[in-house]
Amino acid sequence: MDDHQNFRELARRLLEAVGLDVVGEASSGVQALVEERRLRPDIVLLDIQLPDLDGFTVASTLSSLPAAPTVVLVSTREASDYGPRVGGCGALGFISKAELTAASLAAMLSG
Amino acid sequence: MTSVQRRVVQAVVLLVLALVGLVELEHFWLSTIDRPPILVLDDLIPGYAFALAGLIAWSQRPWNRVGVLMVGIGLGLLLGAGPVPVPSPLGEQQNVLDNTWTFFQVVFGSLWGVALFHLLLVFPEGRFVSRLDRQMVGSLYVLVPMSGLALGVLALVPLQSIDPNLGSASDRFNAVGLSLLATFFYYFGCWVIGLGRVIRRWVRAAPARRRAMSPVIWSLVPIVVAWLGPFATNGPIWGVWPRLVMATATPLLLVSLPVGFLVALLRSEHEMSSVGDLVVKLSDGMLPEQLQPALAKTLHDPSLEVLYWLPTLGRYADLNGETQSLPAPNSSRAATVLGDPGGPVAALVYDSSLRNEARLVDTAAAAVRLALENARLQVQLRAQLDDVRQSRARLVDAADSERRRVERDLHDGAQQQLVTLLLSLQLAKAAAVRCSDSKAVQLLEGSIESLRQALDELRSLARGIHPTILAEAGLMPAIRSLADRCPIPIEVTGDLDRIEPKLEMALYFVAAEAITNAVKHSKGQRICVDVRRGSGCATVDISDDGIGGANPSRGTGLVGLADRVAAVGGRLDVLSSHPHGTTLHAEVPCG
Repeated sequence: MDDHQNFRELARRLLEAVGLDVVGEASSGVQALVEERRLRPDIVLLDIQLPDLDGFTVASTLSSLPAAPTVVLVSTREASDYGPRVGGCGALGFISKAELTAASLAAMLSG
Repeated sequence: MTSVQRRVVQAVVLLVLALVGLVELEHFWLSTIDRPPILVLDDLIPGYAFALAGLIAWSQRPWNRVGVLMVGIGLGLLLGAGPVPVPSPLGEQQNVLDNTWTFFQVVFGSLWGVALFHLLLVFPEGRFVSRLDRQMVGSLYVLVPMSGLALGVLALVPLQSIDPNLGSASDRFNAVGLSLLATFFYYFGCWVIGLGRVIRRWVRAAPARRRAMSPVIWSLVPIVVAWLGPFATNGPIWGVWPRLVMATATPLLLVSLPVGFLVALLRSEHEMSSVGDLVVKLSDGMLPEQLQPALAKTLHDPSLEVLYWLPTLGRYADLNGETQSLPAPNSSRAATVLGDPGGPVAALVYDSSLRNEARLVDTAAAAVRLALENARLQVQLRAQLDDVRQSRARLVDAADSERRRVERDLHDGAQQQLVTLLLSLQLAKAAAVRCSDSKAVQLLEGSIESLRQALDELRSLARGIHPTILAEAGLMPAIRSLADRCPIPIEVTGDLDRIEPKLEMALYFVAAEAITNAVKHSKGQRICVDVRRGSGCATVDISDDGIGGANPSRGTGLVGLADRVAAVGGRLDVLSSHPHGTTLHAEVPCG
């Protein structure tokens, strides 16, 4: 979920290249919540800076749902730029977009 | 009305008073044959008292209708003096219609009471302050002469001479009598409501207004005694003497009201002497701060304000330099602008009841003119300083907004593009790996690494322009984030909850600049940052164990920081001595 289409396309290719099934995309916080209800994904890759709701709010909402998906926050900024909000929003973790690879995502998901 | 016209009218009034006096003199001598003289003077004494007091008031305060109304009341009372025919229910033939004066007396002789009601409601300004007052007085000016006319026709016109078929005189009397009774109750009701409103205004008035109204209010007491006295003394248990005393005192008691108005008028003349005290105080030296209270005391108006005209800024300001406006016309406040040919110097703003004391206000204002000129220079300086402070705060706000915008643009634009490029290169590298093209893989890895470094530098630049964490999480996490990235160990102590963003920004940039300076110049091994909330302020102390020698007068870094802190009303202290390191103490006001 990201408002930049180029990033969404590249991320999709990156994830599909390692065998993950990308079931949907969203370009805003509200659309992200709607699509999650419709598609029920296992993992949500969520940009922090969205045009309507911020990523922390979306992550908190998603995490509070029954059968909540695993949320991974992404941003062009670093986690230290957001302080304690990253750890307190219910997301599994944070990956800087510059560090986003199949390996970094797999490492985070495997704990 | 010009002053010449006014004097002509006043001369005519005096002439009328003299003529009425001559006419009444004859009546007086005839009446005193069987009555005490004081009883005959019942209407004459208050009539003359009102007329003469009104003429004085009119001369002294020509712009105020109070004087004219008092003259009108006086003439009305004199008009009502003398014998008034008693209406006869029998409708007997009466020849008094030939006496036009008597008819005139009956129709208009009671108007003085309406004029008195009018006067009480418009005192002290001389104009109505509410629509209800205006409506009550207007309706009485119409109804009372109409009732007088009905009474006059009933009592004086031989009914049969008009139309024999009009019914009996007794029927006519009953019909008119009922309407007269209704008018009486309306008249009485208006007086009760009007007096209630006047007393309520007096109780609730500002001190200056209450002081102006007081003589008139207190003079109402003898009037009430004069009106209620006959009811009280007419009982069978009292005997003759109380009634005689009451009857004798009544005309004298009725004089109290015009005397009340005159006292209110003459008191301001007496109070001119208080201006003398003001001049003596001024000659002993008076600070600008003391001018306003001294003037307020002299003019008996604690609400008085002195506003100063600031020609360079084109506005009025109070002593603190804050912008103020003159009161609107017809509001409860009035203003006297003091100036010279070059323009206004200052303005006195006071309760509108002081309009009647224009001479007193002008004299007091003239006495303080020079002191006001001096005070104005100080106020102008304060106002300019205030403007500079506000302008500096606006500049800092504008700069901060611009920083936020640039950081956001970098994030949404260049950083996003570079991240996308990085992901593309990683996909290309994955493809090259699949094709076992080691040369391409090597080239792509180099490009990816360079791109990562560029992104890091760009992020660092954006963070320096405007730290996202400051807005997201506040000052403490932002300073801890600074500490995490610093090559020298930093100990962060203290705690501070969220405060105004512009205050957080000022303290953050002090800390960031101090840490950068310590890393670059101090040669120290350790930095301590302490953040606290003090009494009405928030503080940040940054100290290092370096060589010291920081000089705020050299270079623009520390001066710029001091300006930024001052722009939000705070201060920055720098303590730096060789070889004891440097300490910066920043303090900003916050609730």
